[in-house]
Amino acid sequence: MVPRAGGQDPSPVVARRVVSIVPALTEALFAIGAGPLVVGVSRFDQFPPEVKALPSVGALLDPNTERILSLRPDLVIAYGSQSDLQTQLGRAGIRTFSYRHDGIATILDTIAELGTATGRQADAARVVAGLRARLDAVRARVAGRDRPRTLLVFERQPGSLREVYASGGVGFLHEMLEIAGARNVFADVARESVQPSVETLLARAPEVIIEVRAAGLIEGVGAGDTRESWSVLASVPAVRTGRIHLLTGDYLVVPGPRLADATEAFARALHAEAYE
Amino acid sequence: MSVTDGVARSGPPVAGLALPRASVRTRLLTAVGGFGTLAAAACILAPLLGTTEISLARVFDRSIPFQDNVDAQIFFVARLPRVLAAALVGSTLASAGVVFQAMLRNPLATPFTLGVSAGASLGAMLVIVLGGTLATGALAFGPFTPVAAASLAGAAMAASLVYWLATRRGYAMSTSVLLLAGVTLNSFFSALIMFVQYIADFTQVYRAARWLMGDLDVGGFGALGSALPLVLVAFALFARLPSSLNLLSLGDDAAAARGVDVVRAQRLAFFSASLATSAAVSLAGPIGFVGIVVPHLVRLIVGVDHRVVLPAAALFGAAFLVLCDLVARTLLAPVEIPVGVVTAMIGGPFFLWLLVRRG
Amino acid sequence: MSLTAAGVSYNYGRRAGVGPVPALAGVSLHVARGSLAGLLGPNGCGKTTLLKLLAGVLRPAEGQVSLDGQPLQRLSRRAVARRIAVVPQETHPAFDYTALEMVLMGRHPHLGAFALEGPADLAIAAEALEATGTAHLAHRNYMTLSGGEKQRVVIASALAQSPDVLLLDEPTASLDLGYQLDVASLLRRLNRDRGVTMVLATHDLNLAASLCDSLVLLREGRVLADGTTSDVLTAAMVRRLYDVEADVRLHQEAGHLTVVPVGRRP
Repeated sequence: MVPRAGGQDPSPVVARRVVSIVPALTEALFAIGAGPLVVGVSRFDQFPPEVKALPSVGALLDPNTERILSLRPDLVIAYGSQSDLQTQLGRAGIRTFSYRHDGIATILDTIAELGTATGRQADAARVVAGLRARLDAVRARVAGRDRPRTLLVFERQPGSLREVYASGGVGFLHEMLEIAGARNVFADVARESVQPSVETLLARAPEVIIEVRAAGLIEGVGAGDTRESWSVLASVPAVRTGRIHLLTGDYLVVPGPRLADATEAFARALHAEAYE
Repeated sequence: MSVTDGVARSGPPVAGLALPRASVRTRLLTAVGGFGTLAAAACILAPLLGTTEISLARVFDRSIPFQDNVDAQIFFVARLPRVLAAALVGSTLASAGVVFQAMLRNPLATPFTLGVSAGASLGAMLVIVLGGTLATGALAFGPFTPVAAASLAGAAMAASLVYWLATRRGYAMSTSVLLLAGVTLNSFFSALIMFVQYIADFTQVYRAARWLMGDLDVGGFGALGSALPLVLVAFALFARLPSSLNLLSLGDDAAAARGVDVVRAQRLAFFSASLATSAAVSLAGPIGFVGIVVPHLVRLIVGVDHRVVLPAAALFGAAFLVLCDLVARTLLAPVEIPVGVVTAMIGGPFFLWLLVRRG
Repeated sequence: MSLTAAGVSYNYGRRAGVGPVPALAGVSLHVARGSLAGLLGPNGCGKTTLLKLLAGVLRPAEGQVSLDGQPLQRLSRRAVARRIAVVPQETHPAFDYTALEMVLMGRHPHLGAFALEGPADLAIAAEALEATGTAHLAHRNYMTLSGGEKQRVVIASALAQSPDVLLLDEPTASLDLGYQLDVASLLRRLNRDRGVTMVLATHDLNLAASLCDSLVLLREGRVLADGTTSDVLTAAMVRRLYDVEADVRLHQEAGHLTVVPVGRRP
């Protein structure tokens, strides 16, 4: 981790006041016991519940530099693309931590790096080890079982099959899916997200469809709507065998410390018998 | 003395590609026959092509149950509805373009000039972005999805607002007020759309941007069935317009002096074209350029008499969008280009060419 | 067909504090069948508004306009258009119609709703083009024609309506001397040979003197004088109408009154 922008670095090596614009990393901070250090979060932060009481400083498109500065942080966790913000903070002598969006390995590395930044290396190592162990456990549980061709959908226009967004062969969703004992139907696509046409969905013919949603029934997407929308694709094996699962909860789509929970959720949906 | 005497001494032909100076009846039949064949051919050819190899024999093999027949599913669930949606939307937007151009007396008008599409887009944006916090699922009614229902509502609101602004003085619609109101509404709604996107989160912004690029992949006939009644009503109303459109394009007084009930004709034109545009945009998002390229191309071929231009544009619009969507879904296979991008890439150079030609 | 306006008034919009702005007030006139009447007056006197009221395009706020005794209000737009045609000052089509298409649009009131014109309509249009000497321009783009040609095509379009009454708003305003004479003789011919009743709004006093058998003088929305040309067109009237001193005398060779302005009235 490199201090952003040139010049002196007057802030202490170990951070004491942290502002985090990236929800996944806010979760990571709380997971490694650095929660009390957090003084500001993004407006999309939901977890853990304590963050709702913290001041909001905006998000990816609209970070409020004034607000951030008024909280007197010595470390700001920002998105890699927020280069202007990071430059500004660098000029103010504030260290920034740039979020890298990649697979599970990166998530675990990031947690470790946050441990170093906040002086909680031991806790971070513990968390990381724990996550690795749980992922290995899932692998073990589903080992040897049939790995069905699975479509992992994380967005869809409610009530129809328009605007379906599915996981491609890259990224943490794909990796979690594979660990949970499935073969991603779009494993061959070297992108994180795919927007398949109806024709592509029929051609790929997944055996299982897993839909993940951050929010639940509020959106109008219930299990009933899900089944009904997919039923149009009568020849798709997942539709014929009824292996369509709707999982809700933001832990499923946040690349943070709850990824083991998400992986287990996938595994339970895919291999219910292994969890009896 | 007959008109044909004048032909021998006539000056340079009017259009670039001139049909023989036959009567309007003949020209109408020829145009409908020609463009109709083109549209039918496009609708028959397009479902045969796509990113996946399918065997036509298997598609129509009755011995395989439909649920098991992947080839048939691809043909009847994925491709055919999509092609028909393209035909419907293309036809609708092209006709609406012709009507708005005549009504506003401006060949550069589009179905989106008066803000109807901006209203529709705003409605759709709101549902996409607020979908996570409000019970937008309740917005769905009948075969309409929440997004489609909201965009219809937004379009209706925009059209009503423009109508009210343009008819406040009581008598006939002032075209200049119409244009001003439309342009203002477009700006206002665009600003609102930007604001809504600004406060949205990552995926919502992307979904919203994607919707604005247009999408014809309807999947099954449900969405088509919901838009069809609206479009049929609009077309039924269009059928009564063409000769009035000719006269309206001369000016309100000139039209009135030749027996046109100007107020009624304007209302009919505005309502039917707004209805058509709303239906098209709520089905497939705001696909640009169809409503302006097709009328211009058609006029180059058949002349400017609206009694021929309107039906010809409806048919050619269908063929045009079917072919654009075919390109969109096969050119860079397996990646799909948004259809709005394809129509823009054709429309832009076309207009440059028109400008150069005129100059 | 005789055309009558009885006590007609019309207002344009409203002015704050004052109320509606009157364009015409208490105007009455009678145009006998087959006559060629002139409507004279300075800019803004209400000539164009009066023509629109006579054509039924506008509805009077008070009074009524009647055709052969029948109020225009009682007739449908189409019925009125079958009898009364208007040649406006300017015609700007938004699209590239040919001259023939422009003329054929005059057949609209005689066709049905979605009707396409038939051979009879084409014949009438052809004849109208012939009558105005524009048959050779039939397939030319209207917008590419000269001012005189355009005006004659518009007259042909009005003729194609087979009207009994023809209302013309400044028909020679943008034409050169040659075309002015052409249009004037055309109108005279149409009036004499076909018996078309005509009302001609114009600035051109000499044109009015040469063509019209009766004149209506309008000033600030009211009728100043109404009668035969020789009775009405006097130096005193010109002075009252335009604040201009003029010499009005009968020109032996031309055969009609001529008006030569001498100076502005101080």
